[in-house]
Amino acid sequence: CSKSLEKLPQGVVFNENLKTPENVEAMVISAYSALGNDHWSVPYTTMWAYGSVRGGDAYKGGGGTGDQNDVHAYELFSINRVDLGESDGTWFRLYVGVARCNAALALLNEMGDDVFPQKLMRTAEVRFLRAHFYFLLKVLFKRIPYIDESVEKSAYQTIGNDLYSNEELWTKIADDFRFAMQYLPVTQEESSRITKGAAQSYLAKTLLYQSYVQDEQHNVTSKDQAKLNEVVAYCDSVINSGRYRLSDDFAENFLSEYEKGPESVFAIVFSKSDGTPQGRINAGVGTNYPMNQEYGCCGFHQPSSNLVNAFKTNANGLPLLDNYNTNDIVPSGDFKTQSFDTRLDHTIAIPGHPYKYQKNLVFQASWNRDNATYGNFMSMKETVAYTDPTFMKYPPFMSSAKDWPVIRYADVLLIKAEALIELGREQEALPLINAIRQRAQKSAARLTQADGTATSSYFINTYQPGVNCVWSNDFARKALRFERRLEFAMEGYRFFDLVRWGIAAEFINDYFSVEQGRTPHLAGAAFKKNRDEYLPIPQNQINFSQGLYRQNFGW
Amino acid sequence: QEVVISGVVRDTSSAPLEGVTVSIVGKTGSVITDSKGVYSIASAVGQSISFSMLGSEPVRMVIRNDDPINVVMKISLNALEDVIVTGYTSERKKDLTGAVSVVKMADIENVPLGNPVKSMQGRVPGVEVGASGAPNGGVTVRMRGQTTLNISNDPLYIIDGVPTQRGLQEINQSDIESMQVLRDASAASIYGSRAAAGVIIVTTKRGKSGVRRIDVDASHSLQFYNSKINTLNTDERARAYWQAAVNDGRFGPSRNNPQDPSALSLIYDFDWNKDFSNPQLNAVILGQYVDPEQSMRTSDTRWFDEVSRVSQIKQYNIALSNGGQHGTSFFSLGYYDNEGIIKRTRSQRLTLRMNVDHSLFNGKLKIGENLNLSYFKDAQIPTGDVTSLALILNPILPVRTVDGGWGGPVAGMDDRQNPLRLIEDNRQNNNHFARILSSTFADLSILPGLNFRTAFNVDYAGTFYRHLQVPYQSGFLNSDVTQVNTNFDYSGSLTWQNILTYDLNSNEHRVNLLLGSETVNNRNQGFNASAQGLAIADLNYAYLTQGTRNILARGDGNSDALQSFFFKANYNYHDRYLASVTIRRDGSSKFGSNNRYANFPAASLGWRISEETFFKDNINFISDFKLRYSWGQTGNQSIPAYATYSLYRAIYGTDLTWDPSEGSAYDIGGQGTGTLPAGYTAIQTGNPDLKWETTTQSNFGVDFGMFSNQLTGSVEYYIKNTDDVLISPPYLGVVGEGGSTWINGASLQNKGLEAAINYTQRLSDDMRLDVAANITRNRLKITKLPNNAIIGYPGNGTTYTIIGHSPNTHFGWVADGLFTTQEEVDSSPEQPGKALGRIRYLDLDQNGRIDNNDQQYLGTSDPDFTYGLNLTLSYKRFNIAVFFQGIQGGVVNNSYKNLTDFTSLAPGSNWGSRVLDAWTPENPGASVPALTLVNTNNENRFSTYFLEPRSYFKLRNIEIGYDLKDAFERFNVSRARVYMQASNLLRWKDRAYTAPDPENPGNGYPVPVIATLGFNLSF
Repeated sequence: CSKSLEKLPQGVVFNENLKTPENVEAMVISAYSALGNDHWSVPYTTMWAYGSVRGGDAYKGGGGTGDQNDVHAYELFSINRVDLGESDGTWFRLYVGVARCNAALALLNEMGDDVFPQKLMRTAEVRFLRAHFYFLLKVLFKRIPYIDESVEKSAYQTIGNDLYSNEELWTKIADDFRFAMQYLPVTQEESSRITKGAAQSYLAKTLLYQSYVQDEQHNVTSKDQAKLNEVVAYCDSVINSGRYRLSDDFAENFLSEYEKGPESVFAIVFSKSDGTPQGRINAGVGTNYPMNQEYGCCGFHQPSSNLVNAFKTNANGLPLLDNYNTNDIVPSGDFKTQSFDTRLDHTIAIPGHPYKYQKNLVFQASWNRDNATYGNFMSMKETVAYTDPTFMKYPPFMSSAKDWPVIRYADVLLIKAEALIELGREQEALPLINAIRQRAQKSAARLTQADGTATSSYFINTYQPGVNCVWSNDFARKALRFERRLEFAMEGYRFFDLVRWGIAAEFINDYFSVEQGRTPHLAGAAFKKNRDEYLPIPQNQINFSQGLYRQNFGW
Repeated sequence: QEVVISGVVRDTSSAPLEGVTVSIVGKTGSVITDSKGVYSIASAVGQSISFSMLGSEPVRMVIRNDDPINVVMKISLNALEDVIVTGYTSERKKDLTGAVSVVKMADIENVPLGNPVKSMQGRVPGVEVGASGAPNGGVTVRMRGQTTLNISNDPLYIIDGVPTQRGLQEINQSDIESMQVLRDASAASIYGSRAAAGVIIVTTKRGKSGVRRIDVDASHSLQFYNSKINTLNTDERARAYWQAAVNDGRFGPSRNNPQDPSALSLIYDFDWNKDFSNPQLNAVILGQYVDPEQSMRTSDTRWFDEVSRVSQIKQYNIALSNGGQHGTSFFSLGYYDNEGIIKRTRSQRLTLRMNVDHSLFNGKLKIGENLNLSYFKDAQIPTGDVTSLALILNPILPVRTVDGGWGGPVAGMDDRQNPLRLIEDNRQNNNHFARILSSTFADLSILPGLNFRTAFNVDYAGTFYRHLQVPYQSGFLNSDVTQVNTNFDYSGSLTWQNILTYDLNSNEHRVNLLLGSETVNNRNQGFNASAQGLAIADLNYAYLTQGTRNILARGDGNSDALQSFFFKANYNYHDRYLASVTIRRDGSSKFGSNNRYANFPAASLGWRISEETFFKDNINFISDFKLRYSWGQTGNQSIPAYATYSLYRAIYGTDLTWDPSEGSAYDIGGQGTGTLPAGYTAIQTGNPDLKWETTTQSNFGVDFGMFSNQLTGSVEYYIKNTDDVLISPPYLGVVGEGGSTWINGASLQNKGLEAAINYTQRLSDDMRLDVAANITRNRLKITKLPNNAIIGYPGNGTTYTIIGHSPNTHFGWVADGLFTTQEEVDSSPEQPGKALGRIRYLDLDQNGRIDNNDQQYLGTSDPDFTYGLNLTLSYKRFNIAVFFQGIQGGVVNNSYKNLTDFTSLAPGSNWGSRVLDAWTPENPGASVPALTLVNTNNENRFSTYFLEPRSYFKLRNIEIGYDLKDAFERFNVSRARVYMQASNLLRWKDRAYTAPDPENPGNGYPVPVIATLGFNLSF
């Protein structure tokens, strides 16, 4: 009679069923899928809430400070807390990515090469993906529990976040990239798969972060020359592979029709009309469109006045490295009386300027959600024209299936330049930075009004030692850091640059002191040095670990 | 000698008594008196004739000759002789040793709420009912508090012996003969599995032998709002905006850089003196149109009035019952049509019931069938959205544009839908629901007292819908999607019961034995498909085949089974000493093979002291007094069917509007579209050691009757401990997906006191007053919880944990009034965002800084006590019944305070009228914080500011009836009554509760006032 109580599970899969080559391939895809499974509540694809908003590039935006209030706490630092749901959610979602990688790796390890000849290459791809998720966790939370596929699930409860030192964690992440680099091909038949170039670039990026040695209080105490030399070497491998170059026009990095262009080293791939309910679109920016009829939601991620000012250029066509923020460009609203870098109008939606190169769709102040709080600018790199075939509305939100570049070739050049400068080889860095600037120079073609006139007054030039600058090591460092800001503005990594350089407290508190006079929502904002460089380990996770996890310094 | 005896049965007031069962002692078969109290039965001289009727003392006489026998029966004022249906059998109320309440159907039969359980609120001690005003609102029922931390806190319903966990809204209220509520474990444990949260037994009407009868009931009701919320009109909202902007420039966050409100606002212009030190607003200047395209005229829309309406409830019922020597039949057809008070909401129901008995072999074998068919058609209006949108949409927006399109938000407003559009664009969408509930049984009388009953029950319910989503343009919101969404799912259970009973009665001893078995098989399955790109946005066209894009399908199913054996013995000695023992053994497919079965024992004792001679001789005014004690265990297995297994699932993609995708597909080929390769994701971690959750309950009870049972009542005290509570706690984040696992992890305790009292007074020959009152107090606390589960409950996980507290406890900051002088601001502890007019929070840990550690427990939503009071006054042919219900104590989170007290927490919304009395230097006594557009002080943090008293006292129901029977007598009418009724007419609440109805703190579908006119007619 106990037979009648045997009920076989319906519509599910057991782990045993997965141990076939086809299903292992499927589990690798599942790990890839986690790359693009973010959401406006945990936007880890573009990192806008964590890197742009915290880095002084952007305000949270949206409908008042209470709308996505956790991001408001990120923006002000002073009211950030250990129990924010967004921090806990981000932690969890990134570990979902890690767990999918570990599940695939455990199955891959069990596969014989004979039945599954792709084993090494797929293992390399998945280890790359795992390293990517750990990299994001690392820059957000610093001290993280590191778990690979060799750890039994039942032992997860014993892995503390201080089991490995800060250095060891970076090395673990770098090891995955090294493995990936070794076994990945230069090109993949399926174009969204990870390549050798991507692994080399991400390894260089990781080693660059690691080379700025941090103490427990998050102070940068030294720079690891050996690591910097490695950074240069891996960047050179990418450069010398001949597979990548800068796109002709800066805009092409952010237009769907140029996806997988020559500059794309590692991009997260999205799709539409693919059998999922709304398409696998970039849901992390689903709230970042303006409020006009063509779009209609939800006005998040708004550039700061400080960032707009950073695009000003001087009479030599160079950025105003020291005093860019002393005058306030905002009230005049006139972008013709002052010269600008072209990247301004690629990056920032400005009232009176065409939105996303659409000559007949001129951005209006009224398209902002809440001007009283967050001003009149919006972000454009992550958005598309409403006529773009990748555009997708899923009311009330909207986004697109446009791929998102995590590492562009421009980044590889500037990573190398940064390493060279820190190695005292600033002369070798000069042509790399100038290559970036030259491309910006040539990127004005799309920036015109309907009548054909230039949208803003553009004047941009290269650094020419002895002519318009003195290219000292200090000057080169300053120029490099400014160039990174202009090139990657609103791309989500500004804050992590500042922390890497050890200048986050200094820069952000300066930023607050001026910006607070321009916008009311920053009242009370303050960056606490030796604390706010990292998010706190979420209190939930400390509690779940029964106190095994140790809180970050300062929290 | 064979004689035919006839006669008339009357009550003590000489009124004829209908429905008295007349039988010859020792012979099978009986007859029932008709509407004139007349009976006629074949008998023989020397035999005994017996007259019995519920609620009266039976009368027995010996037949001497063939003279008519006229009898006067004393209707007892209490119901000690009432037969109460308890676990698989029935008992006399005076023999009960458990906590059992009988719902007086007469009190609630005409209440048109569509679910008799809604009417139970406040009428049965120990039962808390939560319900919204929605036309098809299900209810939540909590018996003796919250029994478990998992989902299954609703009681088990036994409908004509068929166990089900579906609510009673799915059967016809008029078909119900009786309802009993089993609250303690000794009563409920015979139902073992699933009985932990209490049992409600429903018995439907059957035909009566010798009675042919037609019942017709009809009622019409009007229902309307009486809990409207005061939102701002266009001018008021503009003024509040101006005040907020001026405050910000004067003493708020932009005091260093004050901005003219006219420049800040995209919607309003202001004529004001431009003096931030002494701001004066002369007028709000509004344009003719809201939008630059001039499609929307500036309006003053009352959105709440726009979405709501006065609506009707119609209820018709006809029942035919028939009974003869060879069987009885009952047939009824009911129709219920509730048009809700939100426009276009509606629930229509058709129910059909056939209860048939066939009596064979001189009544030794009874075969019968109870069949209930229900069909519902429910309008699918997103009422949750509509009710909240009506509060937050800006009044300046018109419902319609100048050319008849939909009004909608413009820049400067939130991305919120026009609620009228939501209503109208969903008007074609209905859910169709059907349920078959059938019980086929055979009842065999093997020997006198020995009975065998077998029943096979079918309970299947299915839902079907085909919904059309249409394109729209409404302000800056728009969609070009035309989509059809088709769904079918069913869930069902098959139950087979076998029960053997043996009754042995002598003058001194009454013994009832019961042995039974029950198997339950549950199954559910469903699928859902949608397609977009329909050429025509019309429901007549909108079939899946017509989709041209995004064609999606999904389906799911599961099954589980229960197997049970049970035994019960009741013993009664001299009607004085009562005892019962129950044991039930339950097996569930949901547990691993080692833990599938569990035993649930129970026992109870009763002592009717009033039957003892020392009591009878000495205490006269107490007519009945019984002491009871019971102890027992019940089980719970409400977890997903396969929780013991670790499982993966092919999840291709999920809806990503509100949550991150759980999908596993990736565009690995880079085509950007088309079917993608996909994988599998872990969905759960199995726990092979799962076992039954067990609730152990002790109940101490007293029943008493005084002054010849003019006053009766009962008092219960109980302790209910639930152990091995099945929970799926949150888990360590590094595990990733599929880390959730069910464990037997927690323990809970409920303790409580319940008292019910009934009093009847004949004020004169024509006038009678009945009073029924009850009061309940329940205390709930969590006594054990694993560390990782503690995080899921209010508290900080370390110094404040939920252990020892109710799970409904609130945790947060203590709001300590407002900062009203700069001196207070400067001298107070560090508080990021503190400023004039802002909320001051208490520095509980006194470290000089308001931070996370300044939170504490702030009280619980559990009330101190709940109560109900029913008064019925009968005078000649009139009767009037008034029913009050209330709760006292506890606090609720008045979440709407976000909008009534703040302009900063949702700056794009409309706000409540309380903002008009906010703090300014000129209004220093105000309790509402200074208006601001920027929430610098984190005032939406959970604090005592949002907690308000939950207490209320409501006039739930009032009914006035008039008996027309005499007027219709010549039409052979046995019952004719007209009545007027009103539900939810009056409401009292604590003044400190700032929204209209503390029973609806989330401002969901409001509870309407319902006024009803109806009649009951029987032939």
